[in-house]
Amino acid sequence: MAGLSLKSLHKTYGKVEVIKGVDLEIEDGEFVVFVGPSGCGKSTLLRMIAGLEDITGGELYIGDKLCNDVEPRDRSIAMVFQSYALYPHMTVYDNVGFGLKLAKTPKDVRDQKIREAARILKMEHLLDRKPGQLSGGQRQRVAIGRAIVRQPEVFLFDEPLSNLDAALRVDTRMEIAKLHADLGATMIYVTHDQVEAMTLADKIVVLDAGVVQQVGSPIELYQRPQNLFVAGFIGSPKMNFVEVAVEAVDGDTVTVASKDVASLRIPANSTSLNIGDKLTLGIRPHDLLPASNGAIVGRVSLVERLGNETIVNLELSSGAAWLAVLEGDQPLRIGESLILSAEPQKAILFDRNGLALLRAA
Amino acid sequence: MKSATTNTLLARALIVLLMAITLLPFLSMLSAALAPAGSYPNGLQWPADPQWGNFVRAFEVAKMDQLLLSSGLIVLGVVPVAVLLATMAGYGLAKLTTDKYKWLYLAFVFGLTLPFEAVITPLYYEVRAMGLLNTRFAIILPLIGLYMPFGVYWMRAHFLNVPQDLSEAAQIDGATRWTEFWYVQVPLARPAIMSLTILLFLWTWNQFLLPVVLVQDPMQRTMAGALGAFQGQWGTDIPLLCAGSLLILTPTVVIFLIFQRQFVAALMQGAVKG
Amino acid sequence: MTENASSVPDARHQIPLPAARRGRRKSLTAWLFITPAFLFYAAFVLVPLIMSLYYSFLRWDGIGEARFHGLTNYITVLTDSDLLQIIGNAFQLVLYFTIIPVGLGLAVASAIRGQMNGRFGMATRTILFLPQVIPLVAAGIAWSWMFASTGLVNQALKSVGLSSWVKGWLGDFVWALPAVGVIGAWVLLGLCTMLLVTGITKIDTSLYEAARLDGARPWHEFRYITLPGLRQEIGVCITVTVIAALASFDIVYISTQGGPGITTTVPGLEIYRLAFAHRQVGLASALAIVLMVLVLLSIAPVQWFTRDKK
Repeated sequence: MAGLSLKSLHKTYGKVEVIKGVDLEIEDGEFVVFVGPSGCGKSTLLRMIAGLEDITGGELYIGDKLCNDVEPRDRSIAMVFQSYALYPHMTVYDNVGFGLKLAKTPKDVRDQKIREAARILKMEHLLDRKPGQLSGGQRQRVAIGRAIVRQPEVFLFDEPLSNLDAALRVDTRMEIAKLHADLGATMIYVTHDQVEAMTLADKIVVLDAGVVQQVGSPIELYQRPQNLFVAGFIGSPKMNFVEVAVEAVDGDTVTVASKDVASLRIPANSTSLNIGDKLTLGIRPHDLLPASNGAIVGRVSLVERLGNETIVNLELSSGAAWLAVLEGDQPLRIGESLILSAEPQKAILFDRNGLALLRAA
Repeated sequence: MKSATTNTLLARALIVLLMAITLLPFLSMLSAALAPAGSYPNGLQWPADPQWGNFVRAFEVAKMDQLLLSSGLIVLGVVPVAVLLATMAGYGLAKLTTDKYKWLYLAFVFGLTLPFEAVITPLYYEVRAMGLLNTRFAIILPLIGLYMPFGVYWMRAHFLNVPQDLSEAAQIDGATRWTEFWYVQVPLARPAIMSLTILLFLWTWNQFLLPVVLVQDPMQRTMAGALGAFQGQWGTDIPLLCAGSLLILTPTVVIFLIFQRQFVAALMQGAVKG
Repeated sequence: MTENASSVPDARHQIPLPAARRGRRKSLTAWLFITPAFLFYAAFVLVPLIMSLYYSFLRWDGIGEARFHGLTNYITVLTDSDLLQIIGNAFQLVLYFTIIPVGLGLAVASAIRGQMNGRFGMATRTILFLPQVIPLVAAGIAWSWMFASTGLVNQALKSVGLSSWVKGWLGDFVWALPAVGVIGAWVLLGLCTMLLVTGITKIDTSLYEAARLDGARPWHEFRYITLPGLRQEIGVCITVTVIAALASFDIVYISTQGGPGITTTVPGLEIYRLAFAHRQVGLASALAIVLMVLVLLSIAPVQWFTRDKK
């Protein structure tokens, strides 16, 4: 088992820089998820770790070994591809055992390992089939089996669930989590789905435009996003934003207000703030409550009643579209105005550069 | 719907006509081959006393057993090597090179339309300088080179369609490019390799220009080349000539009939891609 | 020094050596895969081609001393009336080799429109492909016999009362070339037909239905749906048949030896004769280069017009 260390990794294609200096430490046995919108460079970064893309600049250590110049086969990694990339002409048994065969593992050892992997993944009955005869979920298992049979130090997953339907995705997600618990190996997992990231990760790395936006535990990212991008990307539904102006600064609280928001006192890092500064206020949909004395007013534009909760689309007078997730069934009508209050502790202010004004934890 | 059925009938009639035209020369040859040796038979006329012995005589005169051996040796010398080299290069060009090496591919493709006649004269002097004139290698070696444009073009087109993921999965599984090629790429390329093998077999077996120019002894030639010599020698004895010709074209026709499906597919794709 | 030459030109200084080294190893592997094929190609195609070009500027009998001859050989090829006739013969053959198979193929394809399944289809495919499978030499011999004075063609003419037409076709100054053309057409007919029949099955039948609703006549259907839909296949047929005609050798060599006179001599045969019988290697090579260029020039527009525009 091994940790990884990424030091100022760069990747350029021609003149286009897709990875702009990534520094990252991954502990041994950690489950790390790279998350970000498509094109953010997360897959490229994973492929650089795998050795499928050359590293243009910087250093990659797997364990203590500098791996920039090491072939994929010598990195003690295994990878599960988005398309699964099973060899169509080989049976499941041979697919899983291909790496061992190439490593010249003795036949009986090989057989034992393949059957062990099949047992863990409950696919003993599939061993004689070809990939073409398998369902998507079964292929997924084979791809994972192929990875675990080699007992790599690092597992790499490239959007492994994106070709599965929704129900299967949840099941497989849980299985991967269980696999991590059982094997205790270092796993790096790429996804654009923040729910997968939140549920699986020990540590999430949020990427955008080839730059690491924030690294932290799921809850850390949810509660203390460092910038607008992370705040907007992590959490579902998305965090609501609106422009506000500073009304008063008082120690470590800031009072802000706008057309839509009556004065709200929010704990924040207030150094360098002046009255009148323009800020962005972020409040998560789940942190809004209907309250006649609330600070925020909006007009209801759509109501989705789910029974246990009600999702309300609101239009603020500034035109901002907000979402509120209210507890229980709220029989609201489209067009009526709704007054909401927000817990100041959970609201976050962002400065003009999009950086969160977080109070020191 | 009435017009559709008349149309179909018309089409069937047309096709039957085409088939008849295709078969007539063969039938005409067969009827002549059965006429008494040295006689002047008529176009298509079943002889009163079919001389099946003409085939035996033609077999002996043409030394068919030696011819078969010679053609077989040439095919064995050309086809496996040409298919292997083309497959390797097709893989290399499709999977291992960037656009920077596009010129290399274009260099191969340039040869696609090249008539063999355009290089036959220098080939003669080249083969002579190598001391290979009048040996089967005079046919084998140049043919391998002359098949490279089509072979490489064909295999590259196949490998371009193999998902990149498979290569990458193999690399992560510990394969070198060489093991990946043999364990993953070649098994997957079997249909393309099969078609290429069929086409090269046919083209080699039927190759005429190279044997005529580079090999004097008919016994060192391909079937087609030997047939040319046979015609030169026995051209006036029409029954014998026809019997010999039928014998000489039998092997490919038999193999064609056995692998009919693969042949047709290969010939059609070969035309489309070539 | 090769190390510097092969590193990326716009490499920034932060790029460590390893990346470049791995890249180089990758291209080394590529070369290992490609080189054997390329060596054979170079040795037996590129080098002879360059030699052809070189010879074409020489006056050389293949044995004695060669003398530089400038463009004289090319001027001869392009002015000598015999050689021009020979080149013309090749283009006349194109008419037979190309137009008959493509025309008949189109007729069959648009009549049958894709119903080539089952036993009948299988038999059709097998029989129509026979001429593609046999050596061209055998086709030449078969048809020499067909066209012989006692052959089937004359026999058929007599049986329908056209005895005045009976002749030794391949020895006739007027009819020898068309007769050779017929042989080529016979060889290529099946391939073109099958390509076009297969091609037409790929045209969406609802197009024909829509056209009929729009009031299209059969001719319109052919002109506006079948022809455009088969553009690629027609292009393939034309390319294959034009090359077969311009570069023909086997059929002519066997059936007429280029005669009578030079009425059926084609460039391929003339190259062979000039180089190995008349020992005019320079002139043969110039003709070879001209032939190669003519093939390229004839194919290029076909490819251009019929390529799938993406």
